[in-house]
Amino acid sequence: MSRHVWRVLALAVAALTALTWSACGGGDAATGIGAGAPAKGKKGGTLNALFANDLEHIDPGEAFYQPDYMMVFAVHRPLYSFEPTNLEVASPDLAAAPPKLSDGGRTVTVKLKPGVRYGPPVNRTATSADVKYAIERAFTAAVPNGYAPTYFGIVEGAPEPGRKKPTDIKGIETPDEETIVFRLSESSGAFIKALSLPITAPVPEDYAKRYDAETPSQYATHQAATGPYMIEAGKDGRITYEIGKRMTLVRNPNWSAATDFRPAYLDRIELTMGNEDTTVAARQILKGKGLINGDFPPDPPVIKEAVQRRKSQITFAPLGNRYISLNTKVKPLDDVNVRKAIVAASDRNALRLTRGGPIVGDLATHFLAPGQPGFEEAGGMKGPNLDFIQNPDGSMALAAEYMKKAGYASGRYTGSETLTMVGDDSGVGARTAEVFQSQLQKLGFEVDFRQVPHDTMFSKFCNVPEARVAVCPNVGWLPDFADGQAWFDPTFSGESIVPENNSNWPQLDFPAINEAIDDAKKITGQARRDKAWGKIDRMVMAQAPAVPWIWDKQANIASSDVQGAIARWNAQWDLSFTSIK
Amino acid sequence: MVTYILRRLLWAAFLVLVVSFLTFVIFYALPSADPAVLRAGARSGNQALLESIRDTLGLDEPWYVQYAKYMERLLFHFDFGFSYRNDASVREQIFDRIPATASLVLGAAVVWIAVGIPVGVVSATRRRSWIDRIAMGAALVAISAPVYWLGLVVLYLFADDIGRFPVFKGSGSYVPLTESPAGWFGSLLLPWLVLAATAAAFYARLLRGNLRDVLSEDYIRTARAKGLRERSVVWRHGVRSAITPVVTLLGLDIGILLGGAILTETVFNIPGVGRLAFSAIRGADLPMIQGTVLIGALFIILANLVVDVLYGFLDPRVRVG
Repeated sequence: MSRHVWRVLALAVAALTALTWSACGGGDAATGIGAGAPAKGKKGGTLNALFANDLEHIDPGEAFYQPDYMMVFAVHRPLYSFEPTNLEVASPDLAAAPPKLSDGGRTVTVKLKPGVRYGPPVNRTATSADVKYAIERAFTAAVPNGYAPTYFGIVEGAPEPGRKKPTDIKGIETPDEETIVFRLSESSGAFIKALSLPITAPVPEDYAKRYDAETPSQYATHQAATGPYMIEAGKDGRITYEIGKRMTLVRNPNWSAATDFRPAYLDRIELTMGNEDTTVAARQILKGKGLINGDFPPDPPVIKEAVQRRKSQITFAPLGNRYISLNTKVKPLDDVNVRKAIVAASDRNALRLTRGGPIVGDLATHFLAPGQPGFEEAGGMKGPNLDFIQNPDGSMALAAEYMKKAGYASGRYTGSETLTMVGDDSGVGARTAEVFQSQLQKLGFEVDFRQVPHDTMFSKFCNVPEARVAVCPNVGWLPDFADGQAWFDPTFSGESIVPENNSNWPQLDFPAINEAIDDAKKITGQARRDKAWGKIDRMVMAQAPAVPWIWDKQANIASSDVQGAIARWNAQWDLSFTSIK
Repeated sequence: MVTYILRRLLWAAFLVLVVSFLTFVIFYALPSADPAVLRAGARSGNQALLESIRDTLGLDEPWYVQYAKYMERLLFHFDFGFSYRNDASVREQIFDRIPATASLVLGAAVVWIAVGIPVGVVSATRRRSWIDRIAMGAALVAISAPVYWLGLVVLYLFADDIGRFPVFKGSGSYVPLTESPAGWFGSLLLPWLVLAATAAAFYARLLRGNLRDVLSEDYIRTARAKGLRERSVVWRHGVRSAITPVVTLLGLDIGILLGGAILTETVFNIPGVGRLAFSAIRGADLPMIQGTVLIGALFIILANLVVDVLYGFLDPRVRVG
């Protein structure tokens, strides 16, 4: 399941009922406890994170979802990782310093910190060869990694994914144990940022290869930690992770605070799964001791209670966006004026109400979410200067004007095409889709609305161009990391359109945008990148391939004795910075 | 009798095959989601990766070949495959969960039998008394209360973490019997009461009705006329006869619930088979769904078998029927 699928699933829980109240304001900042710079905490204590579902992938080579990252970044040390309040620049983690670029950005050299050691049972220093192996194994069928080809496919000699065995990637060189050199086929700003993904956390080949020989790899249950914590393991080295029940993180005895920016206050962290009644779990957190939410946002009634009576126990963090995609390859949506008319007619306030109103996020005026690099360049909260996205309640008069430009003299659609719309069959997603259906009907469209389970919506319809779905009302995006490429390359580049699991839902294939994306990918300077991706956001908006309607905020809660810290890049608690008061 | 049991066992094996075939067709040949995409577990627009996964999992083969291989693994290696979600062995996961479900269901069965049968007997023998009226009124309420709702109500009232009157252990407190018998008992008290409430009420009403009919039979009048004590008349002659449908129902109920008491396990966060199945269904984890459905079906078929055999012992006519 792709990350956007997960995200939409996870957030569907966030607004089970349409409650409306005003709480946190707009803007890009996380608000509430733990949202600012992490306060110094007290050493010791046990924290219990309640999860509704199980973690999906705990192998650093496979981990991809928010809850997985919550655990993985406490246990593993990639080359770089983000400190809680920093969304833009990753700090050296296993690396000793920022990467050095040469050869026009095509050679990236990273020096490793000396003395970063694996926990038991490996008990040795992590080397550059371990990082190389970690990346190579992510191209095998045993360790199916969804982003390896996207960001590491430009390393010279990188194979197609799904290999039977790890293949030596010639473009990754390890001249000594503390140096790793990446030779790229072209310069790439996203590659630099992707060095913060857990694929770069070292994996000791000598120890792991026997587990990687199985398909699927069994390294996940025998993994060796380099981070401040490790998964509690039995004498045989197999971790005592009870899938769907609990996982215990204990201190990694070989971790050295001198080599890490994480304070790692807690002695022990319990992850308890199966709290599927999230209302009960959320109330346990608010009334209990030493508890935080793991993978589920609290339900609206609990958020309301916390906002009104337990303000010190709730925090909100910006997350991603939601939009309604309009298929640019299907008639009459292949006409840009028809699409602009639909965006103009969209009542985004009404759409947001289906999820719970202002508390669940700000009204979106474009795609890049608040706080993301390039957000201001894309128009900030106000959005680009495009008339069809200006009115949050929708403007039928303006919509009619665009319909006339498209050749419909009455200002309403009078053609013979029926729009096929495929959306969620339950929950708030279904309500959003129903509201949007009525908005389309006001413009004169006949809508064939098919309601299916969320996974089916993606894997059988919206992700499959051949299905020719005109409108997908329940899509959205959370990028792999804070960078315009992670926002726009998979979603609006014509080159990203693929027959299966396609995430360019509008199938936008606009030459000028494709070219701008290709150029922006090669830029390595942050300021220039932000400017370029902000411009691309405006270019995409001008084509009206979708109706962006909300920038989500994720609520997180903690017991009164927890001093939490939010990892803004992940919109969840950072276990290595959280402490017990 | 041996022939009868053998015949029933053959039927049971045939039924398991049919269920396995149907679930395979429903979940593999007509999946609601693409297994390769699920297995990839990430943004997998990369077609080479998807093809590689299909090749590895054999998803590119005809469905009947996939089914044959699945059954071969199942029958000869008792291998249910691996979860698409977390790579875990389906068999290990299911067998890891059975003790929790068995603890919940068998404990609850003790409660509902201990409550339902005496209440049914008392109500039947004291018709229209205030005891009967109160018991049947309470039974009606218990039957009408959905397990999910009742579970939440008792948690908000009596759980030691979020309850108004913190008396019992709350949600997420389950402890395996092998870890702490006292903790196990304490953590299951509320779930047992909640799961047993509806069944106890239903059994009480069923037994009351049956017993009333039986007590008006001629042989009961004869027993009384012979001077037998009323207790003997009711328990040895009345209840023994009236309880047969209750035994049938008990076998089926236990079989069904062993396949997963989904709601109770979910409300009380008990890591049982039901919650595993629920979680697999929500995540379209096809091998796990297939495994839990098969195990659930197996429990129901076994329970049916036990009931049929018991019937055979109780009523010789069944054996030749």
